[in-house]
Formats: sequence, C-alpha cells, structure tokens
Amino acid sequence: MRHVIIGAGAAGITAAKTIRACEPGAEIVMISADTHVHSRCMLHKYLSHERDERRLSFVPEDFFEEQKITWISGKRASHVWTKTHNVQLEDDTVISYDKLLIATGADSFIPPVGDFRKARNVFGLRHLEDAKQIDEVAETAERVLIVGSGLVGLDAAYALLERGKDVTVVEMADRILPIQLDETAGKTYQKLFEEAGCKFLLGRKASNTVMDQTGSIRKVILDDGREISCDLVIVAAGVRSAISCVESGEIAADRFIQVDEYMRTNCPDVYAAGDVAGLSGIWPNAMKQGQTAAYNMCGRKVQYLDRYAMKNTMNFYGVTTLSLGKGAAEEGDEVVICEDSRSYKKAVIRDGKLDSILLQGNMDYSGVYQYLIKNQVDISEKKDRIFALSFGDFYGIAPDGQYDYQI
Amino acid sequence: MKRIMIDQAKCDGCKSCSIACMQAHRTDEGTVYDLDLTDIHNESRNHIIEMEDGTYRPIFCRHCDQPECVMSCMSGALTKDPATGHVLYDGTKCGSCFMCVMNCPYGVLKADTATRTKVIKCDFCIDAGGEPSCVKACPKNAVFVEEVVL
Repeated sequence: MRHVIIGAGAAGITAAKTIRACEPGAEIVMISADTHVHSRCMLHKYLSHERDERRLSFVPEDFFEEQKITWISGKRASHVWTKTHNVQLEDDTVISYDKLLIATGADSFIPPVGDFRKARNVFGLRHLEDAKQIDEVAETAERVLIVGSGLVGLDAAYALLERGKDVTVVEMADRILPIQLDETAGKTYQKLFEEAGCKFLLGRKASNTVMDQTGSIRKVILDDGREISCDLVIVAAGVRSAISCVESGEIAADRFIQVDEYMRTNCPDVYAAGDVAGLSGIWPNAMKQGQTAAYNMCGRKVQYLDRYAMKNTMNFYGVTTLSLGKGAAEEGDEVVICEDSRSYKKAVIRDGKLDSILLQGNMDYSGVYQYLIKNQVDISEKKDRIFALSFGDFYGIAPDGQYDYQI
Repeated sequence: MKRIMIDQAKCDGCKSCSIACMQAHRTDEGTVYDLDLTDIHNESRNHIIEMEDGTYRPIFCRHCDQPECVMSCMSGALTKDPATGHVLYDGTKCGSCFMCVMNCPYGVLKADTATRTKVIKCDFCIDAGGEPSCVKACPKNAVFVEEVVL
C-alpha cells in the first residue's frame, strides 16, 4: 500500500503520523513545495529573528527517517491523474498512489490594488519562503506598510517593530483584529502596538500605488487620497486555497476541494484535509482533518465531527486573549461584561446557551468554554457565574480515570 | 500507562497536592517550609475547585488517550509519549500561542502568570523519578497512581 500526501503542513504531517501508527508497514510518500517543515503560526518569530528556520519546525529533526517517510521536498504537484492514480510533479516526475491526500493548504491573497501583484517589494506572509523574502528586503527597508490588521498583519507588525522598523498598518474596519475582537479588546492591543511605535490607519483601504523604475512600490495611496511612503508592503488580506493541482481535473473543487464527512473527495482513493478543504483555517482543525483522512485512508471509517471553527487565541506583548464565536449580540441575547485593570471578559448568551466568549488578559483554565459552545450546553442555571464556570460544574470521571462531562 | 486516578469523594480540599506540585516545580532550591506561596513563579499544575455544596473537585491533567492539547499544538512542544502514554511539554519549543489552553476541554491548562510564555502542565514529576509529588502528598488517598490500558 502506498499512501501519498501532498503538503507538509498541519494536516499533511498529522496524516502521515496517523497512517504510520495504523499501518507500520505501509509506504508513505510526502510531496511538498516547502523545503523545511514549518509552523505558519511562527513565521513572525523568524521575521523578528527570534527563531531560525530549524526552530520553526513542529516535528522532530529525524521525523522523516524515524517515521520511514519518503519526502520529496521543494517540488509542487502540478496535476493529479485520478484514473491512473498518479500525481505529476512540476518537473514531470510521476508518482503513483494507492491512496492520496491533498493537503496543500493555502496561499496569501494579494488584491489587485495598483501594482501590488507586480511589484518586487509586496509580499504575503504565509510560507517560510515569504518570510525569507521579506527578511531580505527588510535588511534595507525602513518604512513598512501592512495591509490588514488581522492576526497575520499584526504578527508581521510585531516582528518588524522588533526589528526597529517604521510600521504603519492600514485596516478597512474601524478597529483592529475585527474578526476576533470587539472595540474594547482591540483597543488594548492597539495601545500596546502604538507604544511599540506602530501607526494605525483605521477605516481606510489601499486604492492605488506608485511604483518606481526598479519595480518597487514607493507609495501607497489610500481611499481618502492620502499617500503613504513605504519601502516594503506586506499584504495580510486573507488566503486562497492552493487548488492548482486539481484545476482542470476530475476532482471536484470550487474555491476549495469538496470533501464529505470522511474527508473523501468525489474521486475514489483521493482525500483532502486542512485549508485546501475550506472547512476551517484553524490549526487544531487542520490536524484533526488530517487525522480523520488518514484513518479513512487506512480503511477505518471515521467521521470528521469536531467542526467548530470560530475559535482563536492570541498573545501580543504578554497579553493573552481567547476568542470563541462571532461575538455579535442579536436581539434577545444576554451580554455579560466583566472588566478590571488587567482583564476584559465578555460573554454572549443566547437561549440559555453560550454563543460567544472573549477573555482578554487572563485565559487560565478557559478550555471548558469551547466545549460548552461546541456542544451547546444549557447553562441558563449557571449564567450568573459565567466567568467562574469550570469543569467542576460538569464533573465526571470514567472508569479509566479520564474526565467525562456530566450534563 | 500510569494515570493519576481521582477519588473525588475522598478529597477534603486541603490542597496538599497543590503545595507539593508547587514545591516540585519551584525554580529555586529549598524545602516546602521555605516555599514562597506568593511567588508567582511557583505555580501548581493541579488545582482544586470548591463547590457551593462544600465538596471539592480536583482538576488534574488526565494525560488523555486522545489529548486535545497535543492536537492543537502548532510548535511540536506538546507530544504524547507512545511508550509511557504521558503528554509531555517542551517549553523550549513552545510558541506561546496558548491554543492548548483553548483546546483542553477540562480547563486544566493555563499560561504561566509571570511571563505568559509557557504552559503550566503536569509532567508526572518525571524529573523526580516519575512518582507524582501530588500523589505522595495526599493524606486522604484521593489521588493515586494506577496502571490503565492505553
């Protein structure tokens, strides 16, 4: 049995480990454009020079040898021939598979603003390759413009502020981290970033650019006509699934590769997991999808059930935040807010169940909240102490000693 | 694997387990008699919740069979040891994202209070010979080690 996995991110690596555990004798081949296994969530630590590429890895150094995986790195898959069960690489090498997992992830989306897509000094921050290119330009660049104040944008801002750069962040919304945070929680981080020297232009978007003869953008023009001079532009405006290897093929895909609850595509023996499957952009979900796909590739029928994806954490300048749910209250919802000098907590309760929670400053022991939201546990009796809930309120122990929710 | 079992009914909330854990993980030398309980660097990996009805609920890492913390770790810092079954944490690899805190369904994990860069996580006192200090300290036998099938 030969399992082929395209992609060496969270989904691909987890799938490989899972297959190896299920089938010690199976052949596993991994193909990746990445030449180093790296955690995309830590690219800013490379950019800030806190970690080198080796320390961005989330697997042991001898991972491929120890797991007996053949790793073809630095190569993209260009086409999947589902009828003949072959993967064609960009150099026309052909690799046959019995079972195939496509876990190619996603690439930064660069909007067609001015010359963003042509310029030499405009980058997304998604792959180690992006970080290396930014690093090179940052050697001489002083003024950095970041488009987008989501987690990637602020990661980039953090890293380049650490490098002493003059950083400006442009954000369309009227507050930073608009998907994860409300205004109060966003302000806390905005202040910390401003103290580190960052400038924010909120409620504005880039509308045009001025490029010099060398092909570098020197000015970005905003929608209010304001011109921002810059030596380096980082675009953090979202991602697009990396589906090029299935384009013009039989595998059904629109913006994402379509999968069923077993992570199967419409083609026999072909599975997809992680960002390319479009179910979630969150690391833990990618790992679970990779694990689920792998079980099914090994003949164990396992459904992907743990689908909750409106979750994130962040940690800037020592202030940690947990954000679960959309945070937007609807009519009839109960909104509970608790604030002191060190923390901000906000819960949205809908029909006696927790819909969203935001914990900033102190997120100790907060893992229970995801369970309560995911499983839509009725907390109407306990809602007056919503921020004091713990597993103690649902305490149960299984015979093997593991915890077991009693609801 | 060896698991710290919990007999919740026996727990009288004395917190000897928490003090023993703080002592086991303190950064400086000394005995429990000079352990500074107010030093935020001495954090316990376990905690006890006092319920309104006067009972106590010990919250201890289960080293789960399917650890959600490991399944959220983006740096490779959290791993399940296939030989011992223990969920281990390597602070040098940790990216301080705290997705593990978000993902532990039982609310066992927290960020370290002093620096918010490390996860406070039970290590089964492996460095101290693998007999958990909390278990040794419990006067009621409310926590004890048992071999369970992994």
